[in-house]
Amino acid sequence: MRKSQLNNRALGSNVVRPLSPTYVAELRTEAAKYLPLAALLFCSALLSANAQESAEPTQALRFEGYPNAPVVSVVPRKDDLFFYPCDQCHAAMEPNPEIRPLNAMHDSALEHGRGRIWCTSCHDLENRNFLRTLLNERVDLDQAYLVCGGCHANRHKDWVFGAHGKRVANWQGDRTLYNCTHCHNPHSPAIKARAPKSAPPVRAGLELDRGTEHEKSHIWDSQEEHAKQ
Amino acid sequence: MTNDDGNFDKARRNFLRGLGMGTAVAAQPAWGGETMQDAFADFFQKDYRRMSAEEIEAALERIERKAKSRYDVEIDCQNTPPQQGVVYGYAINISRCKGYRDCVHACVKENNLGRDSQMQYIRVLQLDQGDFNLEHSDHYYEPETVPVEGKHYLPIQCMQCDDPPCVKACPVEATWMEPDGIVVVDYDWCIGCRYCMAACPYWARHFNWTVPEIPAEEMNTNTHYLGNRPRPRGVVEKCHFCIHRTRKGQQPACMEACPTGSRIFGNLLDPDSEIRYVLANKQVFRLKEDLGTEPKFWYFSD
Repeated sequence: MRKSQLNNRALGSNVVRPLSPTYVAELRTEAAKYLPLAALLFCSALLSANAQESAEPTQALRFEGYPNAPVVSVVPRKDDLFFYPCDQCHAAMEPNPEIRPLNAMHDSALEHGRGRIWCTSCHDLENRNFLRTLLNERVDLDQAYLVCGGCHANRHKDWVFGAHGKRVANWQGDRTLYNCTHCHNPHSPAIKARAPKSAPPVRAGLELDRGTEHEKSHIWDSQEEHAKQ
Repeated sequence: MTNDDGNFDKARRNFLRGLGMGTAVAAQPAWGGETMQDAFADFFQKDYRRMSAEEIEAALERIERKAKSRYDVEIDCQNTPPQQGVVYGYAINISRCKGYRDCVHACVKENNLGRDSQMQYIRVLQLDQGDFNLEHSDHYYEPETVPVEGKHYLPIQCMQCDDPPCVKACPVEATWMEPDGIVVVDYDWCIGCRYCMAACPYWARHFNWTVPEIPAEEMNTNTHYLGNRPRPRGVVEKCHFCIHRTRKGQQPACMEACPTGSRIFGNLLDPDSEIRYVLANKQVFRLKEDLGTEPKFWYFSD
């Protein structure tokens, strides 16, 4: 029996590709609004950065895994995040556990959980550079799958074994997976509808058949009719 | 008349000179830009499976020269052999496919399909939810956004049957199943009779009515003899699981392009592979299973 070693191996930047361009564009436009403010806060945070850096070591959480789980590594993503490290601002702010409407930079509605969860359900209250699992363990942002898997256990298992999510580049050899947050915006995880790419051309000499000409019938239609008689 | 005769004489003289030299004659339209030597070698080229290693090597070089003269692109045509102990299988999660058609367009690009040839290896069918009659499907859906409420999407391509009816139908044995389970076509041996298209129950084979028109900068130079090398007009083509990529361990282009991760590909003989996990743990089905063609292509939903 092999134990899963979900590690956080650093990969070349060439494999880091955000999957959903719309999601990234969304983040970018939102982030751009706060660019001047962020720059100001960044400068102020730099002054006190050195003291904070050594105070909170990264606690790499080893994932125990499933029986016979394959060895996988995950594409890191936090370098792509515009606001990361969150400490740039939050180091200078008092942690506030109170559930309240946010009005500063994070004013986007939290659609995830439809009101049943709050920032600190996933984010660490004390150090915003980290996430937090249901067991109150501190987890790196690149290990977001550990937080997601806390509730979405079935999906998480499928993801580890390869039935959910996406593997990078190869079908053979080392398994590198995209993180949950590459595809799903963690604050609004449902995949947004978008325009399809162009339809195939109709072959010369044929007419466009939209499939609507055919008489539609379902198996249960005839059964229902049969039941009425 | 004298003029015509004069031209004819000139043409014949050029032809005979070329024949006599047996070497490069300036590109004449009648030869399709090939040299005489290449044209002869093409004509006497054997079936892929009967060629010796040297003959295959010579054929690959001819293909590269022909692509250079036809598209002005330096392609790399390879003959990567199948891997030992590998049989490819494919699975699509239809509950996650949203009908974006990214796979279709990635396939066209990867496989050097003519941009005007009206041919695509993958079709994404739009069906009413609860309806699985393929005759009701809409191939040409173009709404503002997908997925459309009340519809589901079913991508179809070659199912790489384990008992392929197309192979049985071919009168010249220009198509066969490779040891790794991929059904391939020798485009140079195909006579374009299209019997295989009639035999295929999955609409997976397509006839090449025109010489593919591909802009030189969009040409994929990574090619394989049995896969995506530039094809002549008048032969049958099909999905080959991106043979030039998968035999080197890479994913097929459609899988890599899928933004939803609906596509799962792997080695059916490896019990730890993703595809085996899907087959063991998901409710899978195959299209037209009752025909007994044993497709190595599954659909599932979760």
